[in-house]
Parts: sequence; C-alpha cells; structure tokens
Amino acid sequence: MHESAFHQLEEVIQDSLFPEIDLALRAGRHVDRDDGERYAFVLDAQSLLESFYRRYGCELIHASDGFFYLLPVGDQMGRRHLTAGEMLVGQTLALLYLEPTTVQAGGVTQQSVVVARLASLVGERELIQALNPRRRKYDERVAQETVRTEIAKALRGLESLGFINLEEGEQLRLRLGLLRFAEAVRGLSEPADALSRLIAEGKAVAQTPGDEDEEPEETGT
Amino acid sequence: MASTEHDESLHVIASIHRDGICLDLKPVDLCFLVALHTRATQRSLTCFEEEVLLDVFEQVCDAVDPDGENLRKRATHAIGRLREQRLLSRVDGAGIIRAGDYSMSRLASGIVEFFMADQVLTRESLSLLTKALLASLFQVKTEARKAETPDEWRLHVVGPLRVTVGDLVAGIERRQRGLDSQQEQVQKQIGELLDADWFAAVEQCQQLLDETTTTLSELNSVLLHDTHQILTVLSDIEQIAAQAGKADAEEATQRVAEQVDRVAAWGRTRQLAWSTYYQYVHRFLRDVVRLDPSRALSERLRNQLADWTKQPYFWVVAQASKIRVLRENTVREQRPPVVRPPRDREMPLEYVPADMEATALEDAVRSALAAGKTTLSEVLEVVLADVDSAKRFAVVGRIAALLVAESSPRSERERPWVRVPGEIEIEEWALPGGQMHA
Repeated sequence: MHESAFHQLEEVIQDSLFPEIDLALRAGRHVDRDDGERYAFVLDAQSLLESFYRRYGCELIHASDGFFYLLPVGDQMGRRHLTAGEMLVGQTLALLYLEPTTVQAGGVTQQSVVVARLASLVGERELIQALNPRRRKYDERVAQETVRTEIAKALRGLESLGFINLEEGEQLRLRLGLLRFAEAVRGLSEPADALSRLIAEGKAVAQTPGDEDEEPEETGT
Repeated sequence: MASTEHDESLHVIASIHRDGICLDLKPVDLCFLVALHTRATQRSLTCFEEEVLLDVFEQVCDAVDPDGENLRKRATHAIGRLREQRLLSRVDGAGIIRAGDYSMSRLASGIVEFFMADQVLTRESLSLLTKALLASLFQVKTEARKAETPDEWRLHVVGPLRVTVGDLVAGIERRQRGLDSQQEQVQKQIGELLDADWFAAVEQCQQLLDETTTTLSELNSVLLHDTHQILTVLSDIEQIAAQAGKADAEEATQRVAEQVDRVAAWGRTRQLAWSTYYQYVHRFLRDVVRLDPSRALSERLRNQLADWTKQPYFWVVAQASKIRVLRENTVREQRPPVVRPPRDREMPLEYVPADMEATALEDAVRSALAAGKTTLSEVLEVVLADVDSAKRFAVVGRIAALLVAESSPRSERERPWVRVPGEIEIEEWALPGGQMHA
C-alpha cells in the first residue's frame, strides 16, 4: 500500500494537474498508466477524489487493468452511452490488443486491420445493418462507404475517450483502457449474467432493437 | 561540399536512368556469390580461374538444387548474368587465348556482406572501435600540430580523417544497423513465441527483452563516455586547422564530428524506443498473459463481438456539459448609411431648333384641299412640288395620313395606280368635298 501524497482535498484541487484531469474525467476520458504523471496523480488522490466525485453523483472507477474513469450514477453529471460504431470498433480493438502480432508491433495497429477484423468477425451484412440502422434498402457501395465513415468517426470518438491514440497515416496506438470492452467476458460467470450485473451497476445500458435508430442518450446538465 | 555531393549524386542518378542499369538476381545467383566470397576468404584468393567458378557453381547447385540438370550450361548463364550486371569482372586480359580469371566486383562484395553481416554492436566491439578511433584521432592531432606544408596537412591530417577515421565511424554505424536488425528480429521472435506458446513463452520473452535491454544500456553508456572524448579531440583538431587556415582539414573534421554525433544520437533514440517497447511488452506479459494463461479472454471476447449485433449493449461514460461562457456585452455602433458624394445630376439643356416642316406640310395640304383638289394625286402634285426629292417618299405617307384625318378619302374597288412627282406611284384616292375644315 503506497503512501498518498495528498491528505486533504484542498491539496488535490490546488495541484496544477487537477483542472486538466478533472475536465478529462468529466468528458468521459479513461486515464491509464500511459498517461504517466496524470495517472500517478489520480492514483495518489484516489480516495479524496472518490468522495469528491460522489457528491456529483459519480463513481471514480479504478479498473484492475490500470485505468481510471468517471461513471455517472446519478443525474447531476451529464452522461452518454457509446454509439454502435464505437462499441463494435472498441471490442475489435480490445481483441487486437490481446493479440501477439500487436505486441510485436509495440501496441500499434492499422485502421485497415481493424476494418478487416471487424468485418470478418461480425459479418459484412450485419456490420452494414448495425452501422446503417435507418436504411432498409441500400446500395452496396454507398453502404460500405458509410461503414468506413462510421468506423473513422468511432475511432475519433474512442480517441477522445482515451482508448486509443490516432497516429500518423492510419496507425493506431492501442491503450490499456480498451480492456473495458472485455469487462463483460471477464471472470467465470456467464456473459449474460455479467452483462446484467454491469447494467444494474449503471456501467452499461442495453437497448432494444427499436432504440437503435435513436441518437445516443444524453442526460443531466 | 554538400552541394557538390548532391550534384554528383544527380549525375549518378541520371547516368543509371540513361543506361537502364538494374539488378536482377535469382536466388541461385546470390548463393553463387556468397559461395565465391567464402572461397576467396578461406583460400585468400584475389581472383578465380574459370574452372573454379564452374566448380563452385556446381557445389552450390548440389546444395540448393540436387536434382538440377545441365549444370555446366546453367553455370555459363549464371556467370554471364553476373558479368552483365558488373558483379563479376574478367581480369586477365588474355581474351580468346585461354580461359579467363575473374574477380568479384565491389558491388558483389557489398551484396554478399549484406547477407552475411552478423556484425552487430556488442560492448566489446564498440569499445574496441571507439578506442581505435580515439587513438587515430590523437595521432591526427599530433600530426596537425607538426604539419607545416600543404602536403603534410593533406597526407597526415586530411587523409587519415577522411579514410581511417571515417572508416572506423562507418564501421560503428554499420554495426548499429546490424543491431537494429537484431532488435527487429527480437520483436518478431517475441510475437511468434507468444503466438505459439502464449503462457509458456513468458519466460523466454522476458529473457529476450532483458538481454536486448542490457546490450543497449551497455552500448549507450560506452557511447556517452567515448563520444564525449572523441568530440573533444575533434574540436582540438578543428581549432588547430582553423588557426593554420586549412579549410579542407576543418571541413574533414566537421564531417567526422557529424558522424560521431549521429552515432551518439542513435544510442539515445534506440534506448528510448526500446524502453517504451520493453515497458509495453513487460506490462502485457504481466497483465494479460499471466492473468489469462489459456487465452480464454480472447476467445470469449471474440464470441461477444460476433454476437453483439444480436444483443447489443453500450458502455456509459461521463459527458459533463462544457461551461458556457457568455459573450461580452458591447454597444453596437450605429453604422452610417451608405451615401454617394453629391453631384449635379441635371444635364444642361441643349438648343434644338423647332421642326417647322410638319407645320408647313400641314398648311400645304390644307391649302390644296381648299383649292379644290379632289384626288390624292392632285394634292400630292401640288404639295410635293416644294419638297426635296430625297424626302418625297416619306412625305407621301405623312400627306396620306393628314388627308385621312382631314377628310374621308374613298377608293374604288380597283384602285388605279397614278404617277406623282418624284418617281413615285400611288393608289388613287378620291377626296369627297375637297374642302378643308379650317
């Protein structure tokens, strides 16, 4: 158990890193070990920040994989759920994160690899349906282009949440936070039970097919 | 100097393009070259007799393609290909008199060395090279102090700097590239080990990581220590050359210093890059491989992704609204209306003399009617007499219009054509009354 550098909340707030990290956490960013001193700051101030954010109806989650994020459990803090594109791409990236070929490349992969892997695992037709939910009929070329656009949009969204870094060209650096996408299949329990637990904890939301057309939910202030 | 080199390279590029020079080597050609190089090294040969070439080729074919036929013919073709591409040269000059002697060109040696190069930097080789470099530089420094004539500067300072010292630094750089390649191999090996054995490969991966880390760390400490000394001696030589006004010696010293800087920078960047990679793999081994020895997580995640569209769910993340900053309230200035500079838009009046012709014509028509003229032709006869011949045609129409207004002209069903003054013919009208209502 390491000794905390902070004894009072005032010290945490007075720290020069606090405003940046506070804004990042409130914007849904996942702060992991690759964030260096920012991660160390949150780790040091963890107990004080937990009680601080609880007053805003949020839980400061520290995943065992080594990343922090803020989970709104009340209505005081705004929240949203990830889009279908972000979920699909996020799970694919998590899968790639666990692969030896990615380790060989030092955690870097290509956008085209992500698209190919996603299409092979989900199926091209299902992928088009999932990312073009409003369209009953579609032109194949246009639908494929829309899928590529949605994937690019999802990657930008995932970057803003701290799951990846977009690098030169079409390279992506995968980050530790991606392991959140594997949370439902961790442990020995049935994935459906694990998912129900996550939904009950407010970490995830399930949607009926009729909800798919809607924009991501946004609540709070 | 740099611009001269650039010009030379452009010249070479142009000549290669113009002559259509290219390299097209089959695997057997490369094997042949490697075998020749080995034979030359082992037996200290400077050239090969033709029979030796054929013999070596046959040995290569025995090793790589034991079922191959027509070995002599294939050897002839291979030797021909290598000669065409300037990899083998005939050096005896005997021509047709007897079978020739051949030697490998510098290009061929370079290619073979590339494939055979296992010259990788080690602490020992680097120390040896840097010490040799320092010794050469001290020697050059001593010679520079003693040198007086241009020949002495050229032979004992500029020459050694360009050749001996340059070659030693190039030797370090070549070995650095060897180490780069080895690192790449280590990364590939780690990927392959994990792919094949996953959990069982952890120890081996860790060992590979540690070995490379130790090598890099040692090399970097040698580089840090020795490059500092080398640069100090180079700086002294440059100073002596500057005092003696020897620009070429100064320039040669700077070139070596640039090379040494590059060597030092290599050490820093490679250690940094390897450190990042080391941390990443180490964490991966600890957090992923050790915690999931059977790769069950990947399998379950793959299944989850494949079924996600059937049972979708979405992670919740915080999204606090940004603080809205109101714009500063400023009094909007009343903008003046757009105006044009005032100017007098009234155009000055122009005097136009009154047109009296119409009045005169009217009077003339009335006079003719008053005089009892009863047909159009009679009226025209009288009136046209005073009208200019060029205007008569137009005037006839105006007279006809006046007559219609002043009286009620009638015409026969078959109106006769009558000639009037001015070479004009008209259809005749009868004018009843023949009196104008003046």
